[in-house]
Amino acid sequence: MKRYFAVLLGVLTAIGGFVDIGDLVTNAQVGARFGLSLAWVVVVGVIGICVFAEMSGRIAAVSGRATFDLVRERLGPRMGFLNLVGSMLVTLLTFIAEIGGIALALQLVSSVNHVLLVPFVAALVWIVLWRAKFSAIENVLGLLGLTLIGFAVALWQLGPDWGELAAGLSPAEKPGAESWAAYAYFAVALFGAAMTPYEVFFFSSGGVEERWTPKDLGVMRANVLIGFPLGGLLSISIAACATVVLMPEGIAVETLGQVGLPVAVALGKVGLAVVVLGFFAATFGAACETGLSTGYSLAQYFGFQWGKYVRTREAAGFHVILLVVTVLAAGVLLTGVDPIMVTEMSVIFSAVALPLTYFPILVVANDPDYLGEHRNGRFANLLGMVYLVIIVVAALAAVPLIIATSMGQG
Amino acid sequence: MRDSYDAALHLLDRQVLDCDERLVCKVDDVELTVAADGSLVPTGLLAGLPALLPRFGPRLGAVMARTHASVHDVVAGGDAPDVVEMDLVDEIASAVHLTVPGAGLLRPREEVDAAAPERVRLGQLLGMPVTAPPEVGLHRSSRLLDVRITRVADGRGSVVDALVVGPGRPGALLGYDRRSESGPWLLADAVRWLHRHARVVEVGPEVEVDRDRGEVRVGPGASVSPLLG
Repeated sequence: MKRYFAVLLGVLTAIGGFVDIGDLVTNAQVGARFGLSLAWVVVVGVIGICVFAEMSGRIAAVSGRATFDLVRERLGPRMGFLNLVGSMLVTLLTFIAEIGGIALALQLVSSVNHVLLVPFVAALVWIVLWRAKFSAIENVLGLLGLTLIGFAVALWQLGPDWGELAAGLSPAEKPGAESWAAYAYFAVALFGAAMTPYEVFFFSSGGVEERWTPKDLGVMRANVLIGFPLGGLLSISIAACATVVLMPEGIAVETLGQVGLPVAVALGKVGLAVVVLGFFAATFGAACETGLSTGYSLAQYFGFQWGKYVRTREAAGFHVILLVVTVLAAGVLLTGVDPIMVTEMSVIFSAVALPLTYFPILVVANDPDYLGEHRNGRFANLLGMVYLVIIVVAALAAVPLIIATSMGQG
Repeated sequence: MRDSYDAALHLLDRQVLDCDERLVCKVDDVELTVAADGSLVPTGLLAGLPALLPRFGPRLGAVMARTHASVHDVVAGGDAPDVVEMDLVDEIASAVHLTVPGAGLLRPREEVDAAAPERVRLGQLLGMPVTAPPEVGLHRSSRLLDVRITRVADGRGSVVDALVVGPGRPGALLGYDRRSESGPWLLADAVRWLHRHARVVEVGPEVEVDRDRGEVRVGPGASVSPLLG
């Protein structure tokens, strides 16, 4: 019974934890501009994150080593350091976007300008990172994030022509006014939003925090293989809501309020209140995950004690990093930069940074020295190689597409 | 502890854990001591920026190490790395496990007398060019990629008994050099093809690691076998 409960809890938090500010904004933007003609990218991204997270979760459970341990061991100090800098910058960008997202969610409730809320939000995030138990962060915020199911309910309530919606799934249904370059740009952005690197840093380090052993592999796989795809369905329902409500009116998504607009149309104030709670929980949860991920990455590269499974003073350096990055993120947001724009940058650069960590993990997942009998089988390797190609193509395409479309405008 | 391991592959950059599973440091470099008979004996794991920075390459690493030392010039021996004695290593697996608790463990080596044995770092040896007469069959632009360390019964504990040499850069084999069954097949095949010239040279009278001139000389009588069987 306890075991089933553990699986259920893990799956539910994985659903709520899958969606963050990047998924919210990108899916709504894509739904409003391209309908469901890009929904296939979410499917590709979700399978990708399953492959990636399963491999790194397996390594963490069997060998106790998390992502950046392996990056440095396989690539050496120099390449590993370049890798660390690239991944840290993207994770920091995501962290800034998530804190901005929390402030935006609170602005929807309070009508207080988000810049004024940033110092309080940052302080709250830091206190949670410092004091709260790891499992509390993961479970409470993950479960609250499930209120985003409001989008699925709203879609059902909107009662669209399901046949028409399904017909829109084909890439050929790209609206004629949009260029293929913009289509490709948003395909890469959506892929980056689904496969954000921090998710894997956090997932594998979280496995070490929770003291996974090979016995936990089944629970870990259930979390990944059930939780993430259901989270992906949630993403698609956000895009579908935008397709039904925003696209016919020609509304482009530029604020978090517009992401929630279809829910307000379908379910009224109560529905909106529920999904705004979801916005808060999802961004808060992701802010904790990204904040922790910066500390995990640096500590794992240099080898000092990290994690919330030891007393705070035993991992003092780790906690100093958490404080510094939180102050840094708040400082960036206090300049008045638009968190939605930071989000757009974070998802596209996530796609750029993805090969840096994916490749070493794929190599180590095949190493019997680490995994013994649990190393990749044929199927995992087939998928692993297919995704290596997809990830490299997306990463190489990202920068030219940013330039060609001025970040998706054209 | 395993009987034989490749120092760059199995030891370098691994996490060091104390006897309570607490994280201590990374293996930033490995200290090799030159024994009376000239053989290289691993005696310590080196940790800290003074060990890590020189490994960033001959130019960049030297600049970074100098900068670090000048910033720390008020600390006596601030440019010396911390040492964990090799005797304290319990097991070399996916992490390096120690037999003792980590508290107060990291400190620089204090050489007691002027006649202290010569010590070199693995990081200084890796990447050295290897010269050999053509009949030995080494690739022209071979470099030292790794050293193979084997346990011996005498007082030295373990000793460098073979060198892995080949064209390319240390670490570029990604661990695909030691086992035949490592997939994914396409990637493994590509790495294997790139390193088809890699060879294992057994340490003997025909092999000289010249630390002053920074090169490895292999004589015609050396025992050489392909790395990838």
